[in-house]
Amino acid sequence: MRRRLSIPDLGGASAVILHRPHVTVTALTRQLQAVGLQVECFWPELPASARAADYLFIDVDTAHDDQFPWEPGEAPLPTIALIGSEAPGRIEWLMNFGADAQILKPVGDNGVYSALLIARATFDARLGLAGEIDALRRRLGQRQTVVQAVALLAARGKTEDEAYEQLRSMAMAWRVSFEDAAARIVSSVNGPRDARQPEGRDNV
Amino acid sequence: MTRTIDLGLLFSTTGPYRLMGQASRAGALKAIAQVNADPALDVAFTAVERDPGGDIDAYAPLCEEILKSSGARHVIGCTTSWSRKEVIPSLERMGGVLWYPTPYEGFEASDRVVYAHACPNQHLLPLLDHSFAAFGRRLYLTGSNYIWGWEMNRIAREVSARAGADVLGERYVPTGSTDIARLIDEIAALKPDFVLNQLIGPSQYAFLDAMAELRARDAAFAGGRCPVLSCNMTEAELPAIGASAEGVISAGPWFRGQSPALPGNGGGEDFGSSLEAAANASVMMLARLLSGTARSESLSLPELLALPGASAVGISARTHHVTLPVAIAQVRNGVFVPVRVYDPIEADPYLTQVHTRMAQPLMRVVK
Repeated sequence: MRRRLSIPDLGGASAVILHRPHVTVTALTRQLQAVGLQVECFWPELPASARAADYLFIDVDTAHDDQFPWEPGEAPLPTIALIGSEAPGRIEWLMNFGADAQILKPVGDNGVYSALLIARATFDARLGLAGEIDALRRRLGQRQTVVQAVALLAARGKTEDEAYEQLRSMAMAWRVSFEDAAARIVSSVNGPRDARQPEGRDNV
Repeated sequence: MTRTIDLGLLFSTTGPYRLMGQASRAGALKAIAQVNADPALDVAFTAVERDPGGDIDAYAPLCEEILKSSGARHVIGCTTSWSRKEVIPSLERMGGVLWYPTPYEGFEASDRVVYAHACPNQHLLPLLDHSFAAFGRRLYLTGSNYIWGWEMNRIAREVSARAGADVLGERYVPTGSTDIARLIDEIAALKPDFVLNQLIGPSQYAFLDAMAELRARDAAFAGGRCPVLSCNMTEAELPAIGASAEGVISAGPWFRGQSPALPGNGGGEDFGSSLEAAANASVMMLARLLSGTARSESLSLPELLALPGASAVGISARTHHVTLPVAIAQVRNGVFVPVRVYDPIEADPYLTQVHTRMAQPLMRVVK
């Protein structure tokens, strides 16, 4: 698959660096400002307001879960890992915490711009995939409803294939998803109490 | 007391793009003479020269040789982006600064480099803006197969999409190749409103010759229709191109005959091209930064740019790029004639500032 990069709006965007005062921070800040971003540095804890930033840089050498106001793997913004030590334990921590791009330390004269582009693209792709997986999970969860609806329609003297087709045309006529149409049919028979099947992963 | 300081010059005055290297070198030497004769400055320069001969792998070793064998910490040099990127690691290692006086494709802001010629918001964006209004919105993109052509055309695609313009085609030619028949066939068939040409060296010369032949045999391309655009053609290359350059439209910070030249030239106007003017301005700006502060030659670039009065020199401390005027000029009877001139524009190497709406041109010459 060929991806066309969509360049994010970086002028006036905000970056947060979680790193103790250090030449790494100076070099990062210079590069970020040259690109046109506003930069804020925090240490040792990230305030909840950091959620509103556009990019986050973290120091993998020293970072630990308690520094962040969210759970590992749930960063609400594109995250760029600054890696100094390549000790496997640190990389393991990073894999659990999750990052969308990385820069090896020492941070010198370049590397930030490409990390910003990659982090934004990866983060957006990750959000998109998570949404898609949620939708698929929901549909999977509604499998039982679809089976029930087809059985109800078939009970009126149709073959299973015909019942399935009928359900499809009902969904189209009502302009709802196949699964929603199935839920309507089941609830119209069972009464409003069962109008909605439990959704989500519990039902998979 | 005037201090005499070594100053590196790293231009290919031999090899495939010697015309450009020679122009840059001439501008730098002119400025060195000017600085050395100026009693108001307390610095004088001695040139330490190396000629990489257009060999990409010679740039980094020769740059290191300048920094090792002399007291020079500042080097005026490089014509191509590729060579600039090659010398940056050497500059980092040895504590040097490069003054890069040639147009380039942007997306860089090294702590070790001053970008003294135009970047895309100072050449490509105004040129496209002008061309959409003057010629139409159906364009064809071509370039040499390396970063300048790729990146410039990528920006052009993006700007075109935003402006509702149609990119009819895009074709690249290996650097140095003069095999451009397919390119010409495609342009002849598509009949775009204009061609954005990011070819360099012999490929560009062959292309312009072939376009001239096309104009002679196909009326659709005669009478100034379907002009060829460039973001880096200057007077320095006109002798090599000859009559085929007629009608080419180029964007740059200055063309011969305009007054004044670049802000950094300090009043000087006697240059053959903007390449010469920008190399000249580089040396002049460096002299102004160094003058008046003891041991300033040992300061880093950020330290120099933080000195009192440094901001008046015109180099952005944030991006290390220079604010430059913009001119759009057309070759008519063998000389570039300005068609549009814009007020100086601050460089925006990452195209992140709000500037998509261009300032109104200062002057418009309608033929």
